[in-house]
Amino acid sequence: MTETKIPAKWTRRGNIAVVGFIVLAAIVFLGFSVAEDLEELETARSDNLQWHLAQTEVEFLAFATSLSTADSGTPEDLAEVRQRFDVFYSRVATIETAAAYRPLMDVPHFQSALTEIRSFLDETVPFVDADDTAFRSARPQIAAEIDSTRANVRQVATSALHFFTVRAGERRADFAQTLIKLAVAVAFLIAALGTTIFYLRRLNIQRTQRQREVEETAARMDTVIQTSLDGVIVANETGNILAFNTAAETIFGHMAEDVLGKPLGPLIVPDHMLDAHETGMERMRQGGEKRVVGKGRVKLEAKHSDGSIFPVELAIQTAETNEGTIFVAFLRDISASVAAEKELISARDQALAADRLKTEFLATMSHEIRTPLNGLLGNLNLLQDTRLNPNQLRYIKNMETSGSLLLQHVTDVLDLSRYDVGSLELRTDPINLSTLIQSIVDNQSSMAAQNNTTIEWSWIGEPCNWVKSDPDALQHILINLVGNAVKFTLNGKVTVSVEVAKLQNNVANIVFRVNDTGQGMDAELQSRIFDDFVTGTVAYDRAVGGTGLGLGIVRRSVAALDGQIDVESAPGTGSTFTICLPLQVTAPFEEEKDIRLAFQSSVPLKILVVEDNEINRAIAREMLRADGHIVEEVHNGKEAVMATQDTLYDLIFMDISMPVMDGRAATRAIRQGNGACATTPIIALTANAMSAEQAAFMEDGMDAVLIKPLSRAALRDEISKIAVKVIQSEAADAPPRHSNEMREVLGDEAYAAMRDRFVAEANDLHTWLAGKPSPSLSDIAQRCHKTAGSAGIFAADQYHAALIAIEDAAKDGDNHAVMTLVSALDDVWQNAQRTL
Amino acid sequence: MTTIFKNLAAVLAILSAPASYADTLDMPQDAVVLTVSGAITTTNVDDAAQFDVEMLSQIDATMIETTTIWTEGKQTFEGVSLEVLLAQLGVSEGTILATAINNYTVEIPVSDAVPSGPIIAYQMNGSAMSVRDKGPLWIVYPYDSSTNYQSEVIYARSIWQLNRLEIVE
Repeated sequence: MTETKIPAKWTRRGNIAVVGFIVLAAIVFLGFSVAEDLEELETARSDNLQWHLAQTEVEFLAFATSLSTADSGTPEDLAEVRQRFDVFYSRVATIETAAAYRPLMDVPHFQSALTEIRSFLDETVPFVDADDTAFRSARPQIAAEIDSTRANVRQVATSALHFFTVRAGERRADFAQTLIKLAVAVAFLIAALGTTIFYLRRLNIQRTQRQREVEETAARMDTVIQTSLDGVIVANETGNILAFNTAAETIFGHMAEDVLGKPLGPLIVPDHMLDAHETGMERMRQGGEKRVVGKGRVKLEAKHSDGSIFPVELAIQTAETNEGTIFVAFLRDISASVAAEKELISARDQALAADRLKTEFLATMSHEIRTPLNGLLGNLNLLQDTRLNPNQLRYIKNMETSGSLLLQHVTDVLDLSRYDVGSLELRTDPINLSTLIQSIVDNQSSMAAQNNTTIEWSWIGEPCNWVKSDPDALQHILINLVGNAVKFTLNGKVTVSVEVAKLQNNVANIVFRVNDTGQGMDAELQSRIFDDFVTGTVAYDRAVGGTGLGLGIVRRSVAALDGQIDVESAPGTGSTFTICLPLQVTAPFEEEKDIRLAFQSSVPLKILVVEDNEINRAIAREMLRADGHIVEEVHNGKEAVMATQDTLYDLIFMDISMPVMDGRAATRAIRQGNGACATTPIIALTANAMSAEQAAFMEDGMDAVLIKPLSRAALRDEISKIAVKVIQSEAADAPPRHSNEMREVLGDEAYAAMRDRFVAEANDLHTWLAGKPSPSLSDIAQRCHKTAGSAGIFAADQYHAALIAIEDAAKDGDNHAVMTLVSALDDVWQNAQRTL
Repeated sequence: MTTIFKNLAAVLAILSAPASYADTLDMPQDAVVLTVSGAITTTNVDDAAQFDVEMLSQIDATMIETTTIWTEGKQTFEGVSLEVLLAQLGVSEGTILATAINNYTVEIPVSDAVPSGPIIAYQMNGSAMSVRDKGPLWIVYPYDSSTNYQSEVIYARSIWQLNRLEIVE
């Protein structure tokens, strides 16, 4: 039964009803009509007219007879005649006046005959009313009229009879007509009733069929529900259970017949959730928010008949039925999957813990390896400063390179974990590509010479020397690739080429190609060459055989620099590694060294070195003294705390791992004490490069962290930052100064160089701040801090104050304030530049 | 005086019982217009009760105003209620055979004689009726008062030129 048929059926039913009504009305009308006709027949307006007319004739004959037989003329005879006359007279009078005969007056024969009779009566009356004598003598005269009058009486009777016969016929015809109409109406009604019965019967059949379908559907649904693997529970609005399938019996341990009609809550809802359940049901009854119903799959706890609590996944839907709203819940015991999930989580946690353990192990190892390396490289560094002949210098350089390489391996392992943890922070420093590649080629040249391999490099096309990138990452990539090429090439040639493939918006896509004529790789090896711990089968120099991490880190580094790396190779003919990196082109950058030296030589600082390792202590001391600083030394944290109590140092280098008191405890003590050095910058010296720990050092009150082994460049970099602060703090106490003063102190040339660097730094900062995506708050704080130091040196006090404000806001994590302050920074900078 | 006593006696008779006014019927002084015979308890001549016009008019008159199918327009009839007359004659059941002067006879059940029922009219529109006007007596039903009085049967029972009644079982 489709939707569209229903209206049609209703219309049809309506039609039947209308037809039935009309027919019924017709029957009622005709019924009335028949009744009226019947009544008319019943309440005869005339008595038996025919009889009356016949009687009139009889009366006339009686009169005529009495007249003719009254020969003797006795008074009795005459009285008889008179009475007969009077009776006849009254009959005629009745015919003349009675309403029933009025229609007859239009019948000519009737009327003329009646008129004749009336004139006879009128003529006769005087004789009848006269005395016997006169009446007796008038009898022949009356008798003479008898025959003609009889004819008239006859005429009246026959014409009236004819008339009434015709009229009765008409009335019968009318009545018959009415009856026929009634019969037709009844036939119609019967037909309508028949049609109605037919439709009712059809409806009944359809209804029966639909009911059977509904029953079948219900049976089917029941089967589906009963055989469902999920528990199905149906409850009414008050929470009483209406259905409870087999699966539900299994899940909850209740038998359906035991729970049907009972409240759902106490049976399957855990006791501690019962209140929430009741509240929820009540809220839904009030038409409130539905938090579980219709929300798809929800995980909840349920109660077994034995009282145990187990997790279930359920979905509840409502349905409107004749009995009101019902809730249908589909439930699944997810104990197993929850247990599996827990197991999985536990396994993952274990794996993570193991990974952490591995990382910690690596960090520890790196510390253990770095400490002796620190000594080795530091001493090499110092040795370079002594008087050496060119050969010695070259040997030392080579030793340093190898040492650095060794350090690099250690760092590789560390980097690997840093890349994988995602904690790698890339710098964007200016790099001279030619210098970089030259130094790498130089570095590898002695090894290439051993393999009887020539190594050369060149630009293809226009050189693009100055770019910004992470020097460590870039150097690492190239050293690895060139080193590999040299390692696997015997009696061949290694060619490094650099090419600017595309230059757009100051970003150059630079392609580095490292080509060798070595043994090459088969396709299988090519496919996994960038995986971790993959080593080639044969290296010509087993001494430099690597960890198998080199290309893995290269891959990660290239990815970190948003670049691509590919390899083409064929066994026996060599390999070509191609790297494409998007690098920002930058202006030629002055050699840091000169500025640093000029700068540092002008600011001698009083420095305390806290270090238990004698060699390390000596290296730090010698490096610092070489730069003209005053250095004092102590051997552990406790001595440091005591030493800083009364003596003001400009800077403290603090080792972390020390006997008696470690560097962190000492730093906390100094910061919390009221000693002379409570605010003195403290730089941590550590071989432990874990960034998480470095953050902890900062929390202890340290200002910076230097990773051992110490390099002169890193040391100077940190000192330059500190020196800025020292100058600043001195400047704060000093009377207002002018940049001219600085110029006098530094000399014109150094001042100009420094000013240019400051302007470049500031412009750089501004560009960086306006860049997208917005730098992190910590980076902003750091860079603003750095530039603020420079601004202080050049007495750009307003600019300095603005940068410090940004730094403070960034440290407070107030993003909005940072945005506001940064937007105002350009104007301040424009003003500041005028005074430089 | 005699009339007053007669009337008083009639009233008393009505108040007591029909049988009690036996022998109270006068002798007709004038021409007899109605002779009642048969099963009656009150008689004055032989086994019959004979009435002249004067005697009928002595009985409380009943007026009927009605149309009839034999006349034109509304007519006023005055006469003796059949019920009263029969009561006076001690008739309570049976059939009346009413006969006209031309010996035409109809049957009228005594049950027709009810208050506000038929009368034996002796006046129409205030005048006595001659034979030519269906007189002197005419049994008239109050046709207009009920459709029950408009049937063929009733019309047939409305006998005119009436001159005798016979009460049969």
